[in-house]
Amino acid sequence: MKDMLKGNFTPKYQVSVDTDKKETLEEQFERTAKARLGGSIAYVSKKRVAWTDDDKKKS
Amino acid sequence: MSSDEPLRRDGAFVRGLIADMKEMTWDRIGEHAIANAKRNLVFKDDGKSIAALRNSSMGEGDSAVIVAAGPSVRRQNPAQLLREHNYRGLVMATDSGIAHCLRNGIVPHLVVSLDPHPTRIVRWFGDPKLREQDLEGDDYYRRQDLDPIFADEVRANHEIIALMRQHAPQMSLALSTSTSLQVVERALDAGIRIYWWNPMLDDPDEPGSRTRALMDMNGFPALNAGGNVGSASWMIADAVMGKRRVALTGMDFGYYDGTPLTATQYYWEAVDLVGEDRVAEVFSRIYNPHMGAWFVSDPAYQWYRECFLEMVAQGDCQTYNCTEGGILFGPNVIFCPLKDFLAQAG
Repeated sequence: MKDMLKGNFTPKYQVSVDTDKKETLEEQFERTAKARLGGSIAYVSKKRVAWTDDDKKKS
Repeated sequence: MSSDEPLRRDGAFVRGLIADMKEMTWDRIGEHAIANAKRNLVFKDDGKSIAALRNSSMGEGDSAVIVAAGPSVRRQNPAQLLREHNYRGLVMATDSGIAHCLRNGIVPHLVVSLDPHPTRIVRWFGDPKLREQDLEGDDYYRRQDLDPIFADEVRANHEIIALMRQHAPQMSLALSTSTSLQVVERALDAGIRIYWWNPMLDDPDEPGSRTRALMDMNGFPALNAGGNVGSASWMIADAVMGKRRVALTGMDFGYYDGTPLTATQYYWEAVDLVGEDRVAEVFSRIYNPHMGAWFVSDPAYQWYRECFLEMVAQGDCQTYNCTEGGILFGPNVIFCPLKDFLAQAG
């Protein structure tokens, strides 16, 4: 297979291939559609209230 | 499957959505909530910090009843029961529960609001700026299995405005800094007392926390809201107000079996995701053993349930689910009728 993909000319400039995964249009649509199904606000596991330093002094 | 997992009928697709719900929620509200909190900084001195309500004497005794707006409300009428029992404890309402309370002669001590949506949430408070043409593009209220008054949105809006004019000054509002400008302006205009809090968006103890940045910016504490306003109300009753017996009403996190899917909150969003022919795949049927009945639920509600059961496990209060319907049952939740809770809570 490698032999077959050798090509038959030498490119003038170095061609770089971006290997980072880009979101396709379909994936983008799906993410947007999913976001509309999300909750009203975040949830942070195992947390209750974070009081400010002032609140802590007053309690 | 753990023994706490309810009996359910659904597919892998819906379970995948529930697993993704944290990210989906952030995509929906994250940046919006932060932008609103920054903008609401100018209203900081129009209210107090929710810290002022810590162990407050609001409502007699150590009990609280939370009134939300799930489909059970029209069948169980919790506000009417509260009035009949002359309940003296703390009455809290979600923003969506205001209309049910006021129309049935109950003025909640404390209302809770948090959703950053730019146009919908203000309607729960009555929107004096609402125009008929605004309703044409959004069937959110009239489509759902809510209090029947919302079928005629204009009339409902007038009625809520009139009730708020009469009762808002007797009410307090635990208002998340994430709420829209419309909600804040409406609350100020109505004369309701505001107690500010920040929604917990991430772990405030982690470096670079955006929650901590909000706290440093406005000086208000951050509360874990559990994904929705009903769960946030429970957190406030337990961790802020120090109530030790907290009853939930109208917190169905689901719909009665046989409810048309078009009457569910996220119907059009589900259609957008999978198309009308596959929309049923986004919903689950869940068996409630306390009711001996099946209920329909969507991924957001099932995520709320999971979050809530985790929150309750770490709570200080005893939690009673008096909704008499829905899917919120499990460890540390006592499932009972509201009249039984009221008989013992006084």
